Amino acid sequence: METFLLVARNLKARPVRSLLTLLGIVVATASMVLFLSFGEGLRKALSAEMTKFGPQIRVVAEGTGTFGVPNPELGPEVLRTLKAHADELGIARLFPAAVMMKGSGFDPATTFLFYGLPEGITPKDLAPAAKVVAGRLDPHPDGAVVGKQKAEQSRLTLGKTLRLSRKIALPIVGIVDAGSGFANSFIFVPMEVVQRALNTTNYSVVLIYVKEGYAADEVAEKIEALIPGVDAQSTTEAVKYAERAIRIGDVIRFGISLIALVVGGLLVANTVMMSVYERIREFGVMRAIGARRGFIFRLVLLEALLLALSGGALGVAAGIAGSQVVNVYTTHAVGLALSAVTPRLVLFSLLVAVSLGLVAGVIPARVASRISVIEALGRI
Amino acid sequence: MEASVLRAKNLTKRYRQGETWIEALKGFTYDFPPGVTAVVGPSGSGKTTLLNLLAGFDTPSEGEVHLAGHPLHALGEDERAGVRLAHAGFVFQSWNLLPTLTALENVAFPLLLKGVPRRERTERAQALLAEVGLERRAGHFPNQLSGGEQQRVAIARALALDPLVLFADEPTGNLDSAAGSRVLELLVRQAQGERRVVLVTHDPEVAARAERILRLKDGALVEIQERP
Repeated sequence: METFLLVARNLKARPVRSLLTLLGIVVATASMVLFLSFGEGLRKALSAEMTKFGPQIRVVAEGTGTFGVPNPELGPEVLRTLKAHADELGIARLFPAAVMMKGSGFDPATTFLFYGLPEGITPKDLAPAAKVVAGRLDPHPDGAVVGKQKAEQSRLTLGKTLRLSRKIALPIVGIVDAGSGFANSFIFVPMEVVQRALNTTNYSVVLIYVKEGYAADEVAEKIEALIPGVDAQSTTEAVKYAERAIRIGDVIRFGISLIALVVGGLLVANTVMMSVYERIREFGVMRAIGARRGFIFRLVLLEALLLALSGGALGVAAGIAGSQVVNVYTTHAVGLALSAVTPRLVLFSLLVAVSLGLVAGVIPARVASRISVIEALGRI
Repeated sequence: MEASVLRAKNLTKRYRQGETWIEALKGFTYDFPPGVTAVVGPSGSGKTTLLNLLAGFDTPSEGEVHLAGHPLHALGEDERAGVRLAHAGFVFQSWNLLPTLTALENVAFPLLLKGVPRRERTERAQALLAEVGLERRAGHFPNQLSGGEQQRVAIARALALDPLVLFADEPTGNLDSAAGSRVLELLVRQAQGERRVVLVTHDPEVAARAERILRLKDGALVEIQERP
């Protein structure tokens, strides 16, 4: 306890230097927390999305990315085959949809994703938790129902007209809260309208509810075996796929934040080393009185650890604050809180901070503990 | 025969300076009796080297030092530190105290190293500060104390573990005469029972307070003067 006091007093004796070092670690840790919070946020958002999304399988043309916008390449025979084999495949329900994207694709405010639903299908069949905010839920026969997020982003209100092509335009008849970030950025319209705009009778996607007792993964595999040229993507597979991508992102982000961490570590090492050189005489007195090497070693190491740990804790707090700010922005922009500081991220960051302190403290601690008494006291 | 508390036998220290070897201490042999022993001599006579070896700060090139029965010349650094903690106290010329600790905490520091429980430490440190007349300054940091007061705190700290030997190296060197004589008085008073006080000084007035004076010249013990 007194050792701790001794360390704290020493840090307090040089307040500006200690504070600056602390600030360095705070920035390094905060940036790491923030960087890595994106991965955690994506994971959380994704699994939340998946539970909000009703159908467990989406069938698209081969070559469509897991989260890509599918082209209308599925012919009516695909739907016919699926319907014919529904029972043996374990399909409870299925319906097709035609999807069309208009706009830049980069800026969410000017990108419009028209989701064409067949007669008798409403946004509720896509996202079971969907609720009407204004107007009605069903876009049929000739209206558009806009996801809440999309409506806010592009300032769409009831009665406004949306143009799908030069000849085709629809009035907005409803605003819906689909309860999911993805579905909330869709504009639901009758499927026939999208097909007309794209000049096709094909579908972009067939959405499937699996019968109880059947595993979506297995059903998807059977579908791919039955119909050549299609991808049957199950939500669990999508999550796995996304997890892989997120993990790669994690490694890259950690790599970037490592630079900040190394700089922070060097800062601690420099501060502690300077403080060791300034206190050589002090260590000499301690050794003369009878302090063993280990005592001095621990004293210096503890100083580095204390700096790293308190800087780490403050950094985590700053990272959490930063993550909240990021979320305000991303929630507004894409309807998803993309950043999340999970307990395991907090633990990981503190662990990194502590290891940083240990590594940064070892050399100064070793130097301090090896100073000879007569040299330290200037007694040669 | 009673085992001696502080004994040196043929103690020799050589330093290398460039190409040549310098013999800073030559064959010093002495068994320190209880009481105050002053070590005097001009600068460069080997006083500091002798104290370094007697205290186990350094190891001799030849010869033996025994402190409280421990052969310091044969022990490693940490073992010597352990022997110092248990049996020796130190008062240096200046810069004795740990600047980030209060007077009380400085006095309690050896007790902390020894692993004495906190409460006992504080009580003992308070008693020691009272003994040197500084009980009112317990909460002050070294830079809030005068030179004389700092030396008295150092004496209190040196006595914390009731050592067999008290080493003092020019303890009054940086003090005015009034403060110096008070510190000296206090040091001399500590030579009770089996305790040895080794006083290294170049000041004849300081040496005059000792029961015996060892005179060093060019690294050799040239005179032992017993005083009545």
